[in-house]
Amino acid sequence: MKAKLKFLTKQSLDKKIKTKWFKGVNIFLLLLFILLVNIDRVIAVFGGDFESEITIYVEDELNVYDEFNMTFESLSESLGEAKNYQVTKNKKNLEELKTELNEENDAIIVHLLEDETNYMRAEIISYDDIGTVTTQLISAAINSVKSNYAATESGLTNEQILALTSPVEVSTVLTNPDIENKEGQDIVAAGVMLIFILPCFFLILMLVQMIGAEVNDEKSTRSMEIIISNVSPKVHFLSKIFASTLFVVIQGVLLLLYGVIAVVIRNLIGGTALSAMSGDVTKELTEILTLVQDTGVFSLLLRGLPIILILFLLSFVAYAIVAGVLASMTTSIEDFQQLQTPIMLIIMIGYYLAIMAVQFDGSLFIEIASYIPMLSFLLSPVLYMIGQITIWELAISTVIMAVFTWIIFKYGLRIYKVGILNYSSSKLWRKMFKSLKAKK
Amino acid sequence: MLKVEHVTKYYGENKAVDDLSFQVEDGKIFGLLGVNGAGKTTTFRMIIGLLEPTSGKITLNGKPIDYSVTDTIGFLTEERSLLTKLTVKEQIIYYGTLKGMKEESILKKLDEWLERFHITEYKERKIKELSKGNQQKVQFISAVINDPKLLILDEPFSGLDPINVEMFMDAIKDFKKKGSSIIFSSHRMEHVEMFCESLVILVKGKSVLEGELKQIKKDFRRKNIHIKGDVSIPNLKQLKGVLEVEENADEIIVKISDDSYINDVFDEVKKGTDITEFSVEDPSLNEIFLSKVGETYEG
Repeated sequence: MKAKLKFLTKQSLDKKIKTKWFKGVNIFLLLLFILLVNIDRVIAVFGGDFESEITIYVEDELNVYDEFNMTFESLSESLGEAKNYQVTKNKKNLEELKTELNEENDAIIVHLLEDETNYMRAEIISYDDIGTVTTQLISAAINSVKSNYAATESGLTNEQILALTSPVEVSTVLTNPDIENKEGQDIVAAGVMLIFILPCFFLILMLVQMIGAEVNDEKSTRSMEIIISNVSPKVHFLSKIFASTLFVVIQGVLLLLYGVIAVVIRNLIGGTALSAMSGDVTKELTEILTLVQDTGVFSLLLRGLPIILILFLLSFVAYAIVAGVLASMTTSIEDFQQLQTPIMLIIMIGYYLAIMAVQFDGSLFIEIASYIPMLSFLLSPVLYMIGQITIWELAISTVIMAVFTWIIFKYGLRIYKVGILNYSSSKLWRKMFKSLKAKK
Repeated sequence: MLKVEHVTKYYGENKAVDDLSFQVEDGKIFGLLGVNGAGKTTTFRMIIGLLEPTSGKITLNGKPIDYSVTDTIGFLTEERSLLTKLTVKEQIIYYGTLKGMKEESILKKLDEWLERFHITEYKERKIKELSKGNQQKVQFISAVINDPKLLILDEPFSGLDPINVEMFMDAIKDFKKKGSSIIFSSHRMEHVEMFCESLVILVKGKSVLEGELKQIKKDFRRKNIHIKGDVSIPNLKQLKGVLEVEENADEIIVKISDDSYINDVFDEVKKGTDITEFSVEDPSLNEIFLSKVGETYEG
């Protein structure tokens, strides 16, 4: 029987993997990943208005041009604005400059004027609409300049002005000696975990669909009778569970690999002319990763990873069991599609709760839900990452999931045995409940 | 040898098979007949181990039916039981491996069968692309690829033209010669008559007739008398024991309820002229079947 189980598992896996569709979809996924990770560069390759240099003429009546220029550049750089700005002091007559503005010339004139009550006012003059981002950048720079200008006008010294405009230093002190202070870790950790969970969410949807289609195909062609006359329903059921779980693991690893390939490609083209076109984004990416690393998220993830992976695997198996049992009960793929709706909703509830876990910090409901099998793979890892549960509690969720998986396999098999050879929907639920009572 | 002993099967309150007993010896072909819903499929499902009898037992060569013996059984279902997305080769490897065969041996046998059925060119073709008749050939090959000791054939000639029926018949006869026990079910009584040495007729799960075909015919009291010549049909119809008089182009067939009425018919025929034939024949299996089932046969 072991050889037959191996054969059926291989056959079922081949049916999913050795198809043109699988290969085609995976090539498409790889291309999508590469596109997604390098989207800024792709945009840069195709070009557009953002590439052209915008000249900002400053008509300065307050002698604050240098400060405006410095502040504007600093703001533009920190916000990662893709447009190139050239700030310059106007040396022409203002009215003459205004007349030069036309469709070809999209320069902007910033006219800084004195105001009796508010120290400063400004006019932004352009031929066409300059867009929200540019307007906000100019406004922010003007407001910053105004604060300094007002302080100087009020007779404050440079030191006083610096003290006034410098940001307030805020330090966090925790009196609990057992915990480390990791500011912002929860949000970053939850974000990292949700990135892991999202593909699992889609993989489970795929898994449920595949088992349903396969079991129904075998039932509707009556080949199920030939198969079950040669192998036990248990072997057949196990082969479906193994094959579909293996499939989602393979697909999951492939998705991870595509992500790595996409990042490698991004790094490889980092030193080329493209990089110059799109700004030093590789550096930015590294900075983000360093920031995430600084919060201790990776070490936390690595510590819990073996348990999280077991929990994921058990959840795949559990969903495969449930899908197999439901598929065995139905007589057509249409019936199965209706019956699988509750499974979809369960996964969606889990996913939404995982997203809400950060917002509803310490929620008892979400913590209890993290122990509920079928939901725990979505919630426990997130709660663990944001520090709401410990690694031991994560392990307890995994143990509960393992026990639950064994129970649903034991009782699910009883339904499966009867369901796969049942072709009538008459008294279906009665038959299934009756099969649950069967001893073998 | 297959032995079915006092087998009863209930589906809830419904009795699908009622105290059924028969045996199929090695090298014999056995007919399992009945109208739709008579319990044939349930019986087949119990023989191949898909269903457990509620009571009674089924053994193959003395062993109860379980997964240790099912590798020696071949089953051709009435409906197409093929995975139509697979190619012919993949399908046969699939079913052959489930029968515990090695791929090398499956492929060798497959080539022999494809050649015998003149469909070698379809080996790599998907089953859904084949005609109904060729799909039936593939289904037959999938049932016999393991050289079964027990071969169950449920409507094996479905979708086949007369030439292919002949081809299947030869193949089935070869299995008989090799000593396989064969259970055969068909709605075409002439096929059953041609093949089966013994049979059982089921009505609502219960056997209403069983035994050797020759003996069944012999024991069946009704006879058909074939007459050629000028005979008074009204007089024949009025005779005691005459059930029906059938007038064909060149002969008259008189159906009598009991062979004791033969002489009465003969006396009446002697009154006629130009009599060239007077022969008494056993009834066809179809007639026996109809009389036992007691309703119009749903062919």
